Amino acid sequence: MKANEPDALSKTTRVNLLFDFYEPLLTEKQRTFLKYYFHDDFSLGEIAAEFGISRQAVYDNVKRAEQALEGYESKLNLLVKHETLLKLADQLEKSVMNLAIEDTERTALVSVIDAFRAADNRLEKEVTVHGSI
Amino acid sequence: MAVRIRLKRMGAHKAPFYRVVVSDSRSPRDGRFIEEIGTYNPVVQPAQVKIDEEKALKWLQTGAQASDTVRDLLSKAGVMKKFHELKLQK
Repeated sequence: MKANEPDALSKTTRVNLLFDFYEPLLTEKQRTFLKYYFHDDFSLGEIAAEFGISRQAVYDNVKRAEQALEGYESKLNLLVKHETLLKLADQLEKSVMNLAIEDTERTALVSVIDAFRAADNRLEKEVTVHGSI
Repeated sequence: MAVRIRLKRMGAHKAPFYRVVVSDSRSPRDGRFIEEIGTYNPVVQPAQVKIDEEKALKWLQTGAQASDTVRDLLSKAGVMKKFHELKLQK
C-alpha cells in the first residue's frame, strides 16, 4: 500500500498506466476505488468517509484491484509491449534521420513509422480522455 | 477545514500527466481545487517535475497536508528539505 511503500510515486504511475490498458476488465467498484486512490490521490480514510465504509474495506478493495491489474499484465503484457514498441519506433526514427538519403525518401520512411505508432494507439481514439492537458 | 496537497491525473489515455494541486479535503473528486502548484510528467525520460517552490512552502507552512505521492515529489525537488530547515529556524 502507498503509505508503506518506499516510493509511492512510482507505484501510482504504474497502477495508472495499467489502468489505462485493463480498465474494461475491472468491475465498476474496482474502477471507482482505483480512480479515487490513484487518479485523484485521495487517502484511504477520505475514501472510507466518502462511501461510509471502513478504511480496511477500502484498503482491501484497492489492494485486490491492484492485484487484478498486475495479474492481467503478467498474462497479456500490453503495457510492456506498448512501451517496447514506442521505444523501437523512436530508435528507428532517429536512425532514419541520420541516413544519407533524399528528403522525399526520408519523409516516406518517417510516415511509415508514424503509421506504426498510430496502429499501436488505434484503440485510444475510442477511449475517453482523462481531462485536458 | 483540512487542506491537502495531492496529485491530480490529467493527460491522455496511456500518456498520464499530473498536476500538483492544493484542495480542500472534502471537495469532490472532479471538483475545483484552490491552486495548482506544479506538474509531474512521468512519460518523458527522465520524468519531468516542476514545482512552484514558493507556493509549495507557503502551503506547507500554513499546515496543508501533502499526500504520500506529493511528499515523494516534493522530496525529489528538494522542497521538503527546505521546509524542515525553515521549521527548525523558528
